Amino acid sequence: MQVGTTGGEGAVLRALTESVIAGEVEQASSLARQALEIGLEPMRAIDEGLIPGIVEVGRRFEAHEFFLPELIMAAEAMKKGMAVLEEAIIARGGRREALATVVIGTVKGDIHDIGKSIVAAMLTAHGFQVVDLGVDVPAERFLSEVEKRNARVLGMSALLPTTMPYMQHVIEELGKRGLREKVKVVVGGAPVTPAYAQRIGADGYGDDAISGVRVVRELLGLA
Amino acid sequence: MPRRGLRGGLLKFIREDDLEQIRFAVLEVLSEVGVLMEYRPALELLADHGAQVDWDQSIVRIPDWLLAKALLSAPSRFTLYGKTPEWDVKVDLDRVYTIGGSCALSVLDLDGAHRPAMRKDLVDLTRLLEAMPNLDIMHQIVVPSDVPELGYELINFATCYSISKRNYYSQAQSADSVRDQVRMAAVFQGSEEAVRRRPTFTEVVCMVSPLKHEKQNSEVLMESARWGIPLYIEVDALCGATTPAPIAGTLVESGANVLAGVVLAQLVNPGVPCIYSIASGIMDMSNGAYSGAAPETTLIHAATAQVAHRFGLPYQGGTGIDAKLPDAQAGYERALQVLTNILAGTNFVHLSYGMMEQMLLASYEQVVIDEEIIGAAYRIARGFEVNDYTLSVDLLARIGPLGGHFLRERETRESYRKDRWLPTITDRNTWDTWQAAGGKDMRQAANERARAILAREEPWAVSPEQAEEIERIAQEGVVKAQARRQQLQ
Repeated sequence: MQVGTTGGEGAVLRALTESVIAGEVEQASSLARQALEIGLEPMRAIDEGLIPGIVEVGRRFEAHEFFLPELIMAAEAMKKGMAVLEEAIIARGGRREALATVVIGTVKGDIHDIGKSIVAAMLTAHGFQVVDLGVDVPAERFLSEVEKRNARVLGMSALLPTTMPYMQHVIEELGKRGLREKVKVVVGGAPVTPAYAQRIGADGYGDDAISGVRVVRELLGLA
Repeated sequence: MPRRGLRGGLLKFIREDDLEQIRFAVLEVLSEVGVLMEYRPALELLADHGAQVDWDQSIVRIPDWLLAKALLSAPSRFTLYGKTPEWDVKVDLDRVYTIGGSCALSVLDLDGAHRPAMRKDLVDLTRLLEAMPNLDIMHQIVVPSDVPELGYELINFATCYSISKRNYYSQAQSADSVRDQVRMAAVFQGSEEAVRRRPTFTEVVCMVSPLKHEKQNSEVLMESARWGIPLYIEVDALCGATTPAPIAGTLVESGANVLAGVVLAQLVNPGVPCIYSIASGIMDMSNGAYSGAAPETTLIHAATAQVAHRFGLPYQGGTGIDAKLPDAQAGYERALQVLTNILAGTNFVHLSYGMMEQMLLASYEQVVIDEEIIGAAYRIARGFEVNDYTLSVDLLARIGPLGGHFLRERETRESYRKDRWLPTITDRNTWDTWQAAGGKDMRQAANERARAILAREEPWAVSPEQAEEIERIAQEGVVKAQARRQQLQ
């Protein structure tokens, strides 16, 4: 979609928002370029164009108007638009501060990828720097990445009742390495419950992608 | 755009050669055993057209050729008209629709009280039914206790017809009542001629088993046919008591009984739509009760679809359930009954909302739950498409076996909304999430939904002035009916 320049900044910002809501990946990046062409500040295009879109998508998801495919497509569109705008910020010698760095992965012995990836996409879309370690991640890998990236949040996922206890193991290892106080631990996955999260000493539990983002924001005092 | 139901008929219980045997048996009973008709003008008309009448016993025997003629003029395809074109229902032998109702004497209200039905309940339950997307035909779901018994159907007509945009499934206790109903519909449609051309209501005539048409049945049937009002010609068999215990024998009795009515209607007005109808059940031999939800009852209803269609007639089956509360029994009874009927191609799944306790009790909550069950059953009956797009080979090749997923693909987003039924009050969360949302069971969820719907004041289908005029005609009809009763005494 090409918005006529006569439409002005407001029209481009609204179109950016719409492209995220509609999950139109190509449109989001071409509109981001158009925003730069007409002289919009890239930071403003993110804050007033892309972010209101992803916030609206989250609302619709929670209202059962949108479902997972829309959520993921929107996160993809957001990511594409963001890539164009962040590049412009860096080219101008600036940098966009991520809200925080989140290290995320599915624990060792468990290869379930989808739920964790959706959470990662939504965190990225909401302005976090996400380091996705993938699946079957051993404790050592979680620890070294948290340390190296100076992450403020560690997200762990498990879909199997048999791999769930590994999350507790990672939390204990964090303690031994003296990292436990530096990082908030959030856990999730189908068999995980809030009570279980509490029992193994996690700081938070996310039931789905949207509540995962909310929990992370709350734990960091951003809510 | 009119309503076009999905196509049923995947499920068959009768083999082709067995179906022919059932047809022959029906013809034999109709032509050799005969049907008792109390109404003299009905017998005279049938005799004039070649039926054999035993005047002493009032039994009419209908030869095969006379039935064949009637089946030639009875349409397999027609429209039942709503008050607006989007509520027109296109009937044929394949498509499936639902009907609400019927005639419960008590209600289970939203406070959990079991009490006699009042006119206020008829209003509220009709408003609730009107909000159910999968309902096609409106019917009186209760007979209020604060309405006179004689002429109650006129008051119910005035209420339901005024509220609902859907075609109204009515009934009548006399020919006068049919005429009063035409007058009421004419208030909305503009003239009696308009009602004759596009009737916005139908009449059901309930025959008695075994093989008996009471005077009132034939009188109402003939008057409706004269006006071109489509007829549900119904048998309410009690399998094992008023019809033979073997299911096949019950199908034969119902066939002969219904078809005698079809022949009479076609003689009065060739071409008047006749719907082969049953609301039968088995008798529970432990207590003599009618069971609408026994598996054998569902079998009778599903199998009758094949028999009705063999005679080229659209078919109404389906009945209430036996549970007293919207509980696990209610859920399983309704689900098996509705799904089986839809798959069998029952063109009108009758009594499909809120009817419990052998059709004595109407539940507000069950109305909402039944909408959910019907939605899920329709989804199963709709099946799925197989073509290059849905086979998805190209998509599978694109994602490959390297650990990707399909959630972010355009095809997924395009397909799933079309493909998936979205539940309304069904919960698919885990225990904790469900608890966090209040931990409501389905009955509580249905209760809240019913209350929310009733809190909305949707406008009625007719204007307040029209509703007032329709009510006046109904009240006048009740007075006439009382006077006629006194005259007879």
